[in-house]
Amino acid sequence: MAFTAVGVKKHYPGVKALDGVDLEGYAGSVLGICGANGAGKSTFAKLLAGVETLTDGEITISGFPHPVRNAAEAERAGVLMMHQEPLIIDDFTVGENVWLYKLREGRDIRPWARKVDTNSAETREVLQGVGLGHLSTRQLARGLGPGQRQMLSLSRAAVTKHKIMILDETTASTSEEHFNDILRLVEREKNEGTSIIFVSHRLNEVFAMCDRIAVLRNGTLVKVLDAAETDPDEVTALMIGQALKALARPDPVHAAPDQVPALSVRDLHGGSANGVSFDVNPGEIVGLYGLVGSGRSSVARTITGQRPAAGGSIKLHGREVSLPNPTAAVAMGIAYLTEDRRLEGFVKDFDNGENMSLVALPTMAKAGVVDAKREKTRIRELISEYQVKGGTKTYTRNLSGGNQQKVVVAKWLETDPEFVVLDEPTKGIDVGARSNIYQIIHGVAARGKGILVVSSEAEELLSLCHRILVMRNGEIVAEFDPEHATTDDLVRTALTHEG
Amino acid sequence: MTATPTVPPVHHHEEDTSRGTAISTWLKGQYALYILLALLIVATITRGSIFWGRTNLTNLLLQMSIIGVVVLAQLIVVLTGGIDISVGSALGLAAVVAAGLFGGPSVLLGLVVALGIGGLIGAVNGWLVAFRGLEPFIVTLGMLALARGLVYAYGNGIPINPEAADSYASFGQSTLLGIPVLALIWLAMAGLIAFLLYRTVWGRRVYAIGSNVEAARSSGIPVKATLWSVYILAGLLVGLGGWLFLARFASGTSTAGNLLELEAIAAVVIGGARLSGGYGKVFGAVVGTIIFAVIANLLSLLNVSTFLQDAFRGALILVAVTLATVQIVRKRKTNPTQPATA
Repeated sequence: MAFTAVGVKKHYPGVKALDGVDLEGYAGSVLGICGANGAGKSTFAKLLAGVETLTDGEITISGFPHPVRNAAEAERAGVLMMHQEPLIIDDFTVGENVWLYKLREGRDIRPWARKVDTNSAETREVLQGVGLGHLSTRQLARGLGPGQRQMLSLSRAAVTKHKIMILDETTASTSEEHFNDILRLVEREKNEGTSIIFVSHRLNEVFAMCDRIAVLRNGTLVKVLDAAETDPDEVTALMIGQALKALARPDPVHAAPDQVPALSVRDLHGGSANGVSFDVNPGEIVGLYGLVGSGRSSVARTITGQRPAAGGSIKLHGREVSLPNPTAAVAMGIAYLTEDRRLEGFVKDFDNGENMSLVALPTMAKAGVVDAKREKTRIRELISEYQVKGGTKTYTRNLSGGNQQKVVVAKWLETDPEFVVLDEPTKGIDVGARSNIYQIIHGVAARGKGILVVSSEAEELLSLCHRILVMRNGEIVAEFDPEHATTDDLVRTALTHEG
Repeated sequence: MTATPTVPPVHHHEEDTSRGTAISTWLKGQYALYILLALLIVATITRGSIFWGRTNLTNLLLQMSIIGVVVLAQLIVVLTGGIDISVGSALGLAAVVAAGLFGGPSVLLGLVVALGIGGLIGAVNGWLVAFRGLEPFIVTLGMLALARGLVYAYGNGIPINPEAADSYASFGQSTLLGIPVLALIWLAMAGLIAFLLYRTVWGRRVYAIGSNVEAARSSGIPVKATLWSVYILAGLLVGLGGWLFLARFASGTSTAGNLLELEAIAAVVIGGARLSGGYGKVFGAVVGTIIFAVIANLLSLLNVSTFLQDAFRGALILVAVTLATVQIVRKRKTNPTQPATA
C-alpha cells in the first residue's frame, strides 16, 4: 500500500470539486484516474501532492508519520508530481533542468555542497531514458518543443527519490511518438516499486498504461475497475453517466467540377513546411495529420498569417492573398483557432463576454465606439448557443479547458469567417465537450465554409473529416479517405522514413 | 480537468447579484478611497479651517490638474504593460518651448506648440517600443535624459517668461462656477480617457494587449499600431500638462516637471492599476492623483520640512502597495481562482 485517501473532500465556494473520495494506491502498480472535465481528477492529484489543502478527510502515505498537509510534507513523504504544464526553466540548460530539484531545500543547497555535474554521463543516460538522447546537455531549454519539454521534466523521475509519481495530464502536450517513451519510463518505475497515478482522459493511453482505473464523476468516485476486465466503452459510460452517441460522419460534399476551392495553397514554404500544395473546397472539412515537427503547425500558422510565408501562393476563393500578419488574415476572413489556448487563445483578464467579442468587436461598434447594448445582447446569445458554463461576467481563465475552448471557438466564428483553421481543437478536452465542438465544426462546414483541422490524433480526424492529408518532413505525402483508412494507415504513413 | 469554481449552468448570473451587493463589493476594492478618506479626516482634525478654506482648495485643485493629466498619460501606458519615465522631462520641454518659441506671443499658440512637443516625444517613444520592440523602461529612460537636457539647453537654466505671461496668468486663475478652469480641463481629460478606454474598440484593444499580447496578436489586433497610438496619446496629454504648467506659473522653469514621473507612476499604482498591464481604472488614477496632492498640501499645512515630505510620500507608497496585496490575498482565500488545468 503506497497511499490511502479516506473521505477526501475539497470544496470551493459554490463548487464541491471532490466530495468524499476513498482511494488507495499500491506500490509497483499504475492507477489511472479518469473523468470528464470538472470531475475532480486533477484536484485529487493536487491534494495528493499537497499543492492544494484538503477541506476534509485524510491522505496517508505509507512510511510517513502523519497525514500530509502541504507540498513540503508531500515531497518529504516521497510524492513526485508531474504537472500538465512542464516546469522548465528556459534559461537553464537541458542538463541543469534535469537536476532542477537538487535546488530544493535540504542538504543539496548548502553553500559548500558539491555541485551536480549537469553534463555528466549519468545525465546523458537519464535523457536517453526518456527519448531525448539526441539533445546536448549544454543547450538551453528555451528552444525545445512542447513534447520535448514534457519529456525533459519527466526525466527528473530518474534522479529524485520518490515512492509515488503523479502524471497529471502529462501526455496532453506530447504526441504519440513520445508516449512510448513515457510507457517505458512508467515500466521502469513500476519495477522499482513506485506507485504511479496517471490522470488523463485519453482512454487509449489509460488502457495502455494502467493496472487499475478509478472513474470520477462530479467529485465522487464512481468505481474502481481492473483494467484487464473492462473496456473503453464501459469507462466512457461511467465517466459521462450515459452511453455516448457516436458521432455521425459528415455528409460527403460533392464538388462541382468547375468549383473554385475555398482555399488553394501552392508550393508553400515557411517554418518546417517545405513546398506544400493542397485545396480545400467550400463545405469541406480537411484533416492535416503529422507528427510533431512534420510541418503541420507551420502550414496552419502560415495560411492564417500567424507567421509570414517564405514562399508559395495562397488563394482564397480564387483570389491571391498576402498574409503578413494575423490582422491581414482576419480582414480576409481567415480564422485560426490556436493550439496553445492559454497563451494565444483568450485574454486572461477578460471575462467570457469580452473574450468572445474580442475579434468581432469592430462589427459591434460605430466609428470605433462600442455599442454596449448590442455587444451585451450578442454575447448573451453566444453563451447559451455554445453552452458555456458561467455567465458573461465569469473570467474565462477560471473555466475548465472545454469551456475555455468553446469561448475561443465562439470568438472566431462570431466573425463569420470564410475559412477556418483549427489547430488541435480538442486538446485537453473531455468527451462531452469534444462532441460539442465537433458539432460546431460540422455546422460551420454545412454553411459552406472551408475548414482545415490540424491534429495529432488520428482517430479524431478519421471521425471528423471528409479528407485527410498526412505530412512528413514538411511535405504532404499522402491523402486518405476516412471511409477506407484506419488509424494504423495514418500513423504508419506519418512515421515511415524515406529510402 | 479541474477544480474550477464552475458555476452550475446559470446563465447571466451576473444579474442575480443585486445592486446593493455590487456596490459593496466595489467598495471593498477601493482601498485608495479609504486612504484618501483617512487623509481628509486627519486634515479636518488638524488644520480643518485652513484646509477646507477656499484659497487652499483652489490651490489644491490647480496643483492636481497638472500632475493629473500626466497620471492619465501614465495610466494608459501602464495598461499596455509599459512604463513611461520620461513624462516629467517631456512636460518640462513642452513648457519651456511653448514659453519661448516665437517669444510665446499667445496662449493658444502655446497650446499647439506644447501638444506638438509632447506628441512628438510620445511618437518617438512609441515608435521605438512598438516597431523596434525595445523595452519601454530603457526607451523612456533615454528620453528622460534627452528631454531634460534640451530643457536646460533651451533656457540655459534660466526661467523663460513668455510674452503673453499676463494672459497665461489670468487664464490660469480663471474659474468657471467657482472651479478653476485648469481643474476642469483635467477632469474633462479624465472623462475623455475613460470614454476611450471603456467604450471604444481602441480601449478594449489596449486592455487586451496589456493582459495578453500573444492572444491579442493572434486575434488579429493591430498590436504595433495600437501601442504606438497609446504612446502618442500619452505624449499629447503630457504636452497638455506642460501647457497647464505654463498657465499656472506663467513661466517655463528648467525644473518644470522634475521627478513628476515617480509621482505619476505611484499615483497610478495606488489607484489600483497593475504595472504588468491589463488592469487599471481611470477612477483609481484620479483618486491616486488626489491622494498625492492632498498629502503634499497637508504636510505643508502642518509645517513639515520639505525633506521629510518626501519621506512621507515614499512611506505612503509602501503602505498603499502593501494594502493592495493584502486585498488580493484575501480575495484569493475567499474566491480561489484556480488556474483551469483542462
